Amino acid sequence: MNVYHPKVTAGIWLLGMVVISILGSQALTRHWLETGFLALLPVTEQKPEIAKATKQHNESMARNVIWLSGAATSQEAIVRAQQLKQQLQLSGLFNRIVLEFSAQNYRESYQHLFPFRYQLLDSQSKLTLTLNPKELIAQNLEILYSPIGQMQSADLERDPLLLFSRYFNAQNPVKLSVEQGVVILHDEQKYWAVLVTDLQDTTNKLEKLETLLDLAGSAQSQAQAAGGDLMVSGMPLFTAVGSRSANQEISTVGIGSSVGILLLMLLTFRSPRPLLLSFLAIGSGMFSALVLSVLFFGKINIITLVFGASLIGVADDYAVHFFCDSFGSEDWNPRRGLRYILPGLFIGLLTHLLSYAGLGFSPFPGLQEMAFFSAIGLIVAWLTVVMLFPVLLTGFKPEHEPKILKLTSYWQQHWPAWLLKNKRWLSVIVVVFIIGGIWQLTPRDDVRLLQSAPAELIKTADKIKQLFPLSQDNQFFLVSGTGQSDWHHNEQQLLKRLEILKQRQALKYYQGISNYWPNEASQRENFQLLKQTFYESGLLKQYMTDLGFSDTAVRAERKQFLEAENKSIALTEWLKTADETRQQLWLGCDSGHCLSIVSLTGISDLSALKGLQNLQGVSLVDPVSDLSTLFARYRVRASWLLAGAYALVFIGLGLKFGWRNGLTIISVPVAGAMVSLAMMGWFDQLFSLFNLFALLLVLGIGIDDAVFFFMAGDKRASTSLAVTLSALTTLLAFGLLAVSSTEIVHAFGFTIGTGIFTALMCAPLIGFKGCKIYNDK
Amino acid sequence: MIILKVLILFLLSLTHSYAGDVQTQIASRLAKTAITNGDFQQEKQLKILRKPLISTGQFTYDQSKGVIWKTLTPVASILLVSDTRLLTTQGEQAAPAAFGKVFKAMLGGDLNQLTEGFSITGFNRKSSWLLELDPKDELLKKIISSIVLSGDNELRLLEIQEAGGNITRIKFAQITHPAQLTPEQEADFERLSP
Repeated sequence: MNVYHPKVTAGIWLLGMVVISILGSQALTRHWLETGFLALLPVTEQKPEIAKATKQHNESMARNVIWLSGAATSQEAIVRAQQLKQQLQLSGLFNRIVLEFSAQNYRESYQHLFPFRYQLLDSQSKLTLTLNPKELIAQNLEILYSPIGQMQSADLERDPLLLFSRYFNAQNPVKLSVEQGVVILHDEQKYWAVLVTDLQDTTNKLEKLETLLDLAGSAQSQAQAAGGDLMVSGMPLFTAVGSRSANQEISTVGIGSSVGILLLMLLTFRSPRPLLLSFLAIGSGMFSALVLSVLFFGKINIITLVFGASLIGVADDYAVHFFCDSFGSEDWNPRRGLRYILPGLFIGLLTHLLSYAGLGFSPFPGLQEMAFFSAIGLIVAWLTVVMLFPVLLTGFKPEHEPKILKLTSYWQQHWPAWLLKNKRWLSVIVVVFIIGGIWQLTPRDDVRLLQSAPAELIKTADKIKQLFPLSQDNQFFLVSGTGQSDWHHNEQQLLKRLEILKQRQALKYYQGISNYWPNEASQRENFQLLKQTFYESGLLKQYMTDLGFSDTAVRAERKQFLEAENKSIALTEWLKTADETRQQLWLGCDSGHCLSIVSLTGISDLSALKGLQNLQGVSLVDPVSDLSTLFARYRVRASWLLAGAYALVFIGLGLKFGWRNGLTIISVPVAGAMVSLAMMGWFDQLFSLFNLFALLLVLGIGIDDAVFFFMAGDKRASTSLAVTLSALTTLLAFGLLAVSSTEIVHAFGFTIGTGIFTALMCAPLIGFKGCKIYNDK
Repeated sequence: MIILKVLILFLLSLTHSYAGDVQTQIASRLAKTAITNGDFQQEKQLKILRKPLISTGQFTYDQSKGVIWKTLTPVASILLVSDTRLLTTQGEQAAPAAFGKVFKAMLGGDLNQLTEGFSITGFNRKSSWLLELDPKDELLKKIISSIVLSGDNELRLLEIQEAGGNITRIKFAQITHPAQLTPEQEADFERLSP
């Protein structure tokens, strides 16, 4: 301590901040704020191929926005959608805006596939041909004699059996009504024109999301003003609303806790100096945390910022301890004060860092980011207090005796005395309360709780899903095989079973490429089937002649058929003719290992689908439930982590202060954690992985309180003021998290709030030697 | 007087250019009932075939529910049409939904509905009237070049000329306007309701 020079350490601090500022001027000029909710989640622990497929699936979902423009007539709906389309184009937010189905693409794909018409059969026609070829003729006659068979009769010359027209129609199993190239949906009141868009970038920059929300909002009010309606849905919208509410929460929590701290500090110290210094400590902590996190992670998530900012608020405790110590003795000066509180501050910092390390070892990128952010912020804030305050507090010595000091002084004497006096019945109540609460604790691990969405948005999404039969579900099948033919076989087996489930109404639709593209072997089979049933059995001639074709036409058709015998279309060629959603189903072959997705729509019986996983090379991917399972697994793991952290802190305390004292000190955060858990149980709060992380922080703060009381000696009055003030500021910061609309943030605030309050209530018992007033009586 | 009559007839024949008027006049001639029943004879002339495809059957039109098109010869089949759906024995059909609407409007003589998708020209004479509908929709134009409707106080003839040269000609006879659907017809329409 003799070599300690306040000015030198202050200089070192300043130098450090300059370095960080320079780093910051580079780091923060880039795009550093991430808003996507998926980035916070762990990569699935499953096989890399499933992870790859999930990623691809998620990425396309994360860009997709769907717009339904509604009006009383379909004409009006289309006109409105066209206006909307122009508006969207002007915004420059999207790289794909689809309103009209291109007749050009349709024609091109028809022409491209037509030469392979004897090889490409849809599964229904194939079945008919196998079972009863004459049935095909009957069906054709029905089509041709119908007053609406214009499209097919126009093709009759090129496609006398109407097989290719069947195949081409089967490519769109969902019959959407199309007017002027626009998909039209309808419910009881309105006609809806469908517009599908993809956002330009996948990173979901905050300002872009804000623009999207504004755009959707203004388009909606425009539509309603004109007597129509507009429904918008899509993952980016959920993200946007989530970020917006996170933004608002940052300012609510920020302003709320700032005002609270401001009032408390001014009332207590009657001087702006402690206040300014507190903000300096927190400010430099947050700034350094931001800069170093961006440098380390490249980007930081908005939720990290919300959580991290309030965690750094804990740093205020160090400053508060410093200031409060000034009330403790007559001849106080900053250097002497520091010497006195340094051991306590040090233990406090270590405990906090230990609990953040717990977060850091979790597999969630979001929590790792948060742990890093908070740890850096805390260390810098701590260093600010320790290195800078001795200089800046020179000459600081409050003359007054604040009212709150009298209050806490009275409280720290009488409260523990009262507790001890009534300990018999109190301990019974507390034990019953804790056991009863923990008994009722039911974990909920649903990943969807991470994201808050207004009921209106969810309602719109459901309504669109109900109206628009093409909206895919989150779940999908992943089909693999060693080589293309193995894959094809596996997918075909799956599709057969899915067809049965579809007829049992377990789901509405499914899509797999092998439904549309028969592999080369099946193409040969198809040709042979046609050859046997029609072209070499005389059935073709009979059918065509009966219908009124000339003999020349019959001969020409047979000739074309025979010439096409050796044709086949490869998957890559076929995919070129397919639309984007179908192309995305094929994940490609990698060193002989082929993968595809079978997408699902309108699932009503998930367990039936799960049953199909015993098929060769088939697995059902359910990202939401996979993550929820992961949450559950890590909740168990985190429980051990939590117990480990408490044990580790206990060992540390035991070695430093002796086992008995260690036990006394640790009992404060343990009581805090127990009561907090019990409260969650009694009040049916969300209990998940995240509450456990909150309990890690209760450990850090609880230890702070206990250690300071333990080391207070004759300074119990000023210590109780420091502990109370810091507990109050922390409660303000985290209590405000409890108002969050996101359920897990709310749970986090609730857990910390109850935990810290309990710790505060227990802490004065530490080192309590009995009260003179009571002893005298 | 004869001169006057000739003049009136001449003027009437001119009215085909004032389609809006003709339309209202024709609309007022057509019997307005919710339900129409009748027989049809349909003749399809496909360019590629040497003989026409002739079919006969019965149809039912219900203003709110749609159309039942029951072919009896040569192959029995049924087609159900509503504003939004097309249903055949082979299931839901992928024809443009607008087509269902038009088909229903044609059979019901709902000329207002037809003006939405078609430009209409025609004439209205004492003995008969005729309307020619040309589709406005680009996609529909690629399939159908024009539709001709003619009749007196009922629709008697419907002719669809396809872009590729095929022609569908439907004649209606035995037209009645019952007050109620038969249970069988009710059941058929029931299949159309979503």
